[in-house]
Amino acid sequence: MTVLLHRREVGEFKTRYKWMALVVLVVFGGLLGRMIQLQLFESSEWSEIAQDNITKTFILPASRGVIRDMHGEVVATNRPSYDVYITPQLLNGDEGLRRVTELMRLNQEDAERLKHRLERVPLRRRTHQIRMFRDITRDQLAALETYSRELPGVDVLAVPVRTYPHGNLGAHVVGYLNEVNAEDLERHPERGYRAGEVIGRNGVESAWEETLRGQRGLRRALVDARGRLQPDRVPEGVEASAVSHVAAIPGQELALTLDMDLMAAVSRAFRGHPSGAAVVVEVNTGRVRALFSKPAYDLNEMAGRLSQRRFDELRQDPFRPLIDKTVYESYFPGSTFKPISAVAALADNVIDRGYRVDCPGYYELGNRRFRCTQVHGEVDMESAMIGSCNIYFWRLAEQVGLERLNRYARQFGFGESTGIGINTEASGFLATREWFERRYGRFRLGHTLNAAIGQGNTRATLVQIASAYAAIANGGTLYRPQIVERTLLSDGQIVEEFEPEVTGRVDAPREDLDYLIEGLWGVVNNEAGTAYDARVEGGVTVAGKTGTAQVSRHSPREGESQERIWYLNRDHAWFAGFAPASRPLVSIVVLVEHGGAGGRTAAPIGTRILQEYLGDDVEASETEAGTN
Amino acid sequence: MALNRGFRNYFDWPLFITVAIIAVIGVVNLYSATSAPGARADIYIQQIYWLTLGAGVAVLIVAIDYRYYERHGWVAYGAGIVLLILVFLLGRTIRGSQRWIPIGGFSLQPSELMKIFLIIALAKYLHNDPKTDGRTLKDLVIPGLILAVPMGLILAQPDLGTAMICAFIFGTIMVLTNLKLRSLWALAVVFVASAPLTWTYLLRDYQRERLTAFLNPDDVLLDSGWHAHQSLVAIGSGQGFGKGFMQGTQNQFRFLPDQQTDFPFTVWAEEQGLIGTSVLIFLYLFLVLWGLKVAAQAKDRFGAVVAVGVSSLIFWHTVINIGMVSGLLPVVGVTLPLFSYGGSSVLTIMMGIGLLMNVSMRRFSF
Repeated sequence: MTVLLHRREVGEFKTRYKWMALVVLVVFGGLLGRMIQLQLFESSEWSEIAQDNITKTFILPASRGVIRDMHGEVVATNRPSYDVYITPQLLNGDEGLRRVTELMRLNQEDAERLKHRLERVPLRRRTHQIRMFRDITRDQLAALETYSRELPGVDVLAVPVRTYPHGNLGAHVVGYLNEVNAEDLERHPERGYRAGEVIGRNGVESAWEETLRGQRGLRRALVDARGRLQPDRVPEGVEASAVSHVAAIPGQELALTLDMDLMAAVSRAFRGHPSGAAVVVEVNTGRVRALFSKPAYDLNEMAGRLSQRRFDELRQDPFRPLIDKTVYESYFPGSTFKPISAVAALADNVIDRGYRVDCPGYYELGNRRFRCTQVHGEVDMESAMIGSCNIYFWRLAEQVGLERLNRYARQFGFGESTGIGINTEASGFLATREWFERRYGRFRLGHTLNAAIGQGNTRATLVQIASAYAAIANGGTLYRPQIVERTLLSDGQIVEEFEPEVTGRVDAPREDLDYLIEGLWGVVNNEAGTAYDARVEGGVTVAGKTGTAQVSRHSPREGESQERIWYLNRDHAWFAGFAPASRPLVSIVVLVEHGGAGGRTAAPIGTRILQEYLGDDVEASETEAGTN
Repeated sequence: MALNRGFRNYFDWPLFITVAIIAVIGVVNLYSATSAPGARADIYIQQIYWLTLGAGVAVLIVAIDYRYYERHGWVAYGAGIVLLILVFLLGRTIRGSQRWIPIGGFSLQPSELMKIFLIIALAKYLHNDPKTDGRTLKDLVIPGLILAVPMGLILAQPDLGTAMICAFIFGTIMVLTNLKLRSLWALAVVFVASAPLTWTYLLRDYQRERLTAFLNPDDVLLDSGWHAHQSLVAIGSGQGFGKGFMQGTQNQFRFLPDQQTDFPFTVWAEEQGLIGTSVLIFLYLFLVLWGLKVAAQAKDRFGAVVAVGVSSLIFWHTVINIGMVSGLLPVVGVTLPLFSYGGSSVLTIMMGIGLLMNVSMRRFSF
């Protein structure tokens, strides 16, 4: 009886069994469907992620070439910056975060930011090392290193950053680095910059970027889920390209023509003057020994993360620290231009050396009267040069004419950039007759007169003037101002040596230049000379020319002090020359912005620099000169 | 008696062969799963020991007519409950839950064995209380209690996965044994209604975290979300033919957590591809359907319910495990029968297979 009952029970059960079997079939069919979806339809995407999971690309940064001065003194080099990388997957969650915050002594804000950044790391990158802090302090480094065992997923890596031992000395020539931006990436796609890499921003660092930079290496290796390297295990089916190693090629070193000792001397000589510039060039090679622009900025500050506030401060500084005043900026050369006018007159035999002019202290043109610096009386070229007589040069200009003046000025390198190769060089300006006609409707004699004394519309850079004076001193050869002497491999092997490059010759006989030099010698060494007070008694004999160039009227800003307005309307003080006078080695240009009279302000700086630079050689050269 | 008369005639070869294949490829797969440096490389040997022990237990179970178990059903159930209580007295706490009783060098997980005892107890109860006119809600009270006692103890360990499996087995058995459709709907409503309460009061933080991770796969700060994701990567990158034995990168480079217990299917899928996963899914499907066939052909109610219980045990384990590793279900730590490493798990499944074989072989013995 019971058996029968059970049979019936089981029989009823059989109908439900069919439904059950159907449900089982459907559910397993679903599982199979899911497998087909994952392993067939979506397989390539998942495969890519799997490959990505185990391959890690390490960028092997190339060390940037060291920059040295002519004596091998380091101007720019690299130091390690300790950066903190966090692998989110390996960090012990909130506990790890708390430890990092504690050890690095982060403030509330930084801790919050770190937490926020960690939370936003996408799934696929959670096994990657992500840079969270840069250039941590020594204390932070010590704390993290000490407890590194308790901090899985936190790694401190040393990366090279640029450092400039001389701080702000030569800031504009040397230049600095900072991170590439979108514009750089767009402008130089061929260079293959990656976000986060640095690029030279100014001076030599920028101009020689390709040489200094080197080429980064690339290492692709297999890693496990914890990011540990698995060099010996390459499973079948892993693409061969997943493992590779291309070593980095270090950047080349640069040996500059600059002399950092001289730069320091220039800087000392400029003490007390807030704004100005100076250039020293070797007369027989064109090698630039000093390129100085004041005020400057600390390169290390610029290379680090410059705050917007500090940057605004630099940008709004009335002394314009961001501007390179030797190359980028051009000025009225003022009386330093007079020797060029003199050569134009002598070389084309417009006048002879006996030509004399009477200076009553003024010059009448039409119904206007132009004043000279003083009443010079009867002057010849030499005494006109020594006393910086404008009347003489105006009379001269009447006969020379603008066209001839410009022709000689161009031979001396004016009106065209010198090709020094850094900092967007200005070309200066020589106004032509056509230009005046276009600009003012007609050409007047006054334009020529102004041009002859370096005012009006003539503009020149300090580098141009230094090159021109070097040409006067060396007998008429114009050299390209040279900043980089050679490039070397990091082991000291020379890659390329740059010879002095002649870019032109001045079409003037040697005697005329020598005669001119006598006048320039007198400017410093004749009692009547405008720079007589600046001469160094018993020191290096300097020849040169002072200048006092008018500035365009300063339009006062709200709340500007009377003192500042007075200062900004003051003339620029110039001195250009060379030394030793008897056998010139270097030419020099000094500009003191708003320094007033050139003879009083700029000339002493010039002679002092030359004395410091050549002082040790002076006896030898003077003795030699004496035997001649 | 039937056994003595013609063992060869009645032996359930399809059941035996299916189980043997799954067990063998399971061991092979474990070998690969634990071959990554730093993993416990001896695990596949341990698994062989457990399988051998399990097979021995299964033979013992087959040797004795299952009606003997029917008679002593309450004893087995009682022993299971005692073991579950012992867990709280002797148990070791591993990763925040107390599930294991150490015995010598091994540890036993009573909650696993309890599944079998629960099946036997329910079968005994239903055998003696057939309710052929259909089972109403009121008739569920006693079987409900039979479930509730061990389930409560398991939840307290806490072991959400096992407790859930127990509930599912209970549900499956009830659905198949004359539960009225009306009652079924009522149960479903109660189940849905109790979900928020379960969420708030029953689940621990980490359990909630797992479920949240499943519902928000992009919220990857949660470990379980990351694990589930890596499992998908492994399965998907296995493609059609797999990366080859021991060549799975997700496995070998340790992107899979608990690859020997929770994720052996993932290892298999990565290394053997769709071919491998299809074969394995078919093997489990066959096993479950065969179990249901055994149930349908069982000579009495006890045998039928036992067969249904064992089939549903295999069914739910398989579906939940494969579902969770393939991202269809949250990661809840349910093993894949005979594929996952684990002594208690292997022993439990082998006991179940033994019971199934017992019922299968004695269907002709009247």
